[in-house]
Amino acid sequence: MNSAAASPVAHYREVFSASALRQSGSAHLREAAFARFSELGFPGPREESWKYTSLRRLEARRFAYADRDPARRAAPSLPAALAPARLVLINGFLRADLSETDTLPAGIRISATPTDPDSDGRLLRVPSGGGTERFAALNAALCPEPLLIQVAANVASDAPLHIVMATVGDSPLMSHPRLALRLASGSSLRVILHHVGNDDAEHFINPFIDVEVAESARLDLYRLQDTGARSFHIERCDATVATDGRFMLRDAQLGGSLARLDVNVALQGSGAETEITGLFLADGSRHFDTHLQVDHRAVNAHSLQDYRGIAANRGRAVFNSKVIVHPGAQKSVARQSSRNLLLTPGAEIDTKPELEIHADDVQCSHGATTGQLDPAAMFYLRSRGLSIAEARSALTRAFTGAVMSRMDHAGLAALVRDRLNARLVNLLESGT
Amino acid sequence: MLSIRDLHVQIGARKILKGLNLEVQAGEVHAIMGPNGSGKSTLASVLAGRDGYEVTQGSATYLGGDLLSLEPEERARSGVFLAFQYPVEIPGVNNAYLLKAALNATRKQRGEAEVDAFEFLTLIREKMKLMQMDESFLNRGVNEGFSGGEKKRNEILQMAVLEPKLALLDETDSGLDIDALRVVATGVNSLRSPERAIVMVTHYQRLLDYIEPDYVHVLADGRILRTGDRTLALELERRGYDWVKQEATAA
Repeated sequence: MNSAAASPVAHYREVFSASALRQSGSAHLREAAFARFSELGFPGPREESWKYTSLRRLEARRFAYADRDPARRAAPSLPAALAPARLVLINGFLRADLSETDTLPAGIRISATPTDPDSDGRLLRVPSGGGTERFAALNAALCPEPLLIQVAANVASDAPLHIVMATVGDSPLMSHPRLALRLASGSSLRVILHHVGNDDAEHFINPFIDVEVAESARLDLYRLQDTGARSFHIERCDATVATDGRFMLRDAQLGGSLARLDVNVALQGSGAETEITGLFLADGSRHFDTHLQVDHRAVNAHSLQDYRGIAANRGRAVFNSKVIVHPGAQKSVARQSSRNLLLTPGAEIDTKPELEIHADDVQCSHGATTGQLDPAAMFYLRSRGLSIAEARSALTRAFTGAVMSRMDHAGLAALVRDRLNARLVNLLESGT
Repeated sequence: MLSIRDLHVQIGARKILKGLNLEVQAGEVHAIMGPNGSGKSTLASVLAGRDGYEVTQGSATYLGGDLLSLEPEERARSGVFLAFQYPVEIPGVNNAYLLKAALNATRKQRGEAEVDAFEFLTLIREKMKLMQMDESFLNRGVNEGFSGGEKKRNEILQMAVLEPKLALLDETDSGLDIDALRVVATGVNSLRSPERAIVMVTHYQRLLDYIEPDYVHVLADGRILRTGDRTLALELERRGYDWVKQEATAA
């Protein structure tokens, strides 16, 4: 079989047809999801949400579907535990032997099966709209074991749950992990979502994160995307937040060769709140694309989108953040900020904040800047004896300070700083 | 320690310094006075290595070496310190980090070990007391949200910690009320020593009531037109600068 000659969608169809998922209890959902993926196909050059990001390289690649058995046998080097409770997924498969959940409070239920335990299709749903609907559909068709975490009403867990999604293999693999986080009313949970992978092959990682925050519940989701340097990583996170619920996402986009993150948050109930804050570092020849959207659909809801972007060398980044205040969503408060730093000539960041308001009693603000390190500050630090590299590194770390201080898990924040510093030192000491 | 010969400096096509000569020995305190736009701050900036200034002629020799060929950080590590006229606010880089990094850069240059946390805190506390600064300053961003007086005190604090051989004070008295001026002067005076030279650039002689110079120079039209002792500053205060220029032109 020479799949390289076939069209990209045909390649995925072959993979889908060959997979055992079509024989599972959820076969009809898988079929419908795959049909949706086929219908949408890969984005064309004129599609607005992919305007600055070309997937031609991804389309041209052929990835093997990660099988259960190799994933079960793999003994990858995993990152140090960031919390006592840990779930490890290898190529989309949950590895109970590498996981530890005994420390979690009763009232948190975890399951991972190929079929939908609710048998209502919710676990394999395809979110509609946006540039990544096609990939969420592909994920619904091909995710081997959706990981479902349910927190019962009023159960509070302060110690976070560290979820490691590792994609490892010597040859190019595709992996479609799916995580559903459902917080019942009054509950709270902190989750560290940690993507890792190996640098030896170009993998295609396509996670979908499905979040439901019920009344007065709170989810703190910390994300570190630190996957293999040659990988394609396309992730989508959709969240609905009910009355007085909160969804806080703290993001660090560092790994991969081409990475896209779409976050869509619907503030459904009055008093709902979300903060989506983070940073990315597009150095080398990395291409990062982040699309955020918050829908204010109820009164008195608050949102914050705040990112710091850094690009260097031939790195390129796209940042698009959008707020829609729907009719009737009075007293909405929405703040958007995107600040970007170009460390070397030749790097590029395209940023675009968008605001769509259909209510009259709202407070919305947005700002976007792209610039370089302040020469006056550089001279000041050098005049105190700091080398150019030290001064640039200090100013770059300062640039990320505001979003780093929101990453209020000390272990993860330290790891992100380390990863960031290691890359900056390389970058800044190599001159320019 | 510092020997400046026939220094010509321009910014773009504009000639600022036009043949400046200055000799500074260790242990001396020099005041350079002059009208606005005479090139005082340019002199301080050029000596510290700020970008944007072109030296077209002349030399500046520091401790026997060519000062002007060094990068700003090399000058700092070899003992040159510039107290800025307008200290830069750097949110997100805290004062403690900067002081420690700066101190270690200098120590490394001298072949000394990095300062440990205890040593560092002891030293900083002593110097902060001298400058009447609260310890909370340490964890604030460099000059972030500081008042004019706090910024100038912070400059002298850094100088007191780094113990430079050649201190250049660029209009350190500007924007200071009398109490702040006293604190700053106490800090500077505490650093007077036979091994150290201090060059103060100032517009007003008020500073010289608190820090007594050994020499006073009048800088105008890009050159030093007159050199005297402390009484010259008092005369300038009384008569202004024009007479110096006129005498120089007549000569």
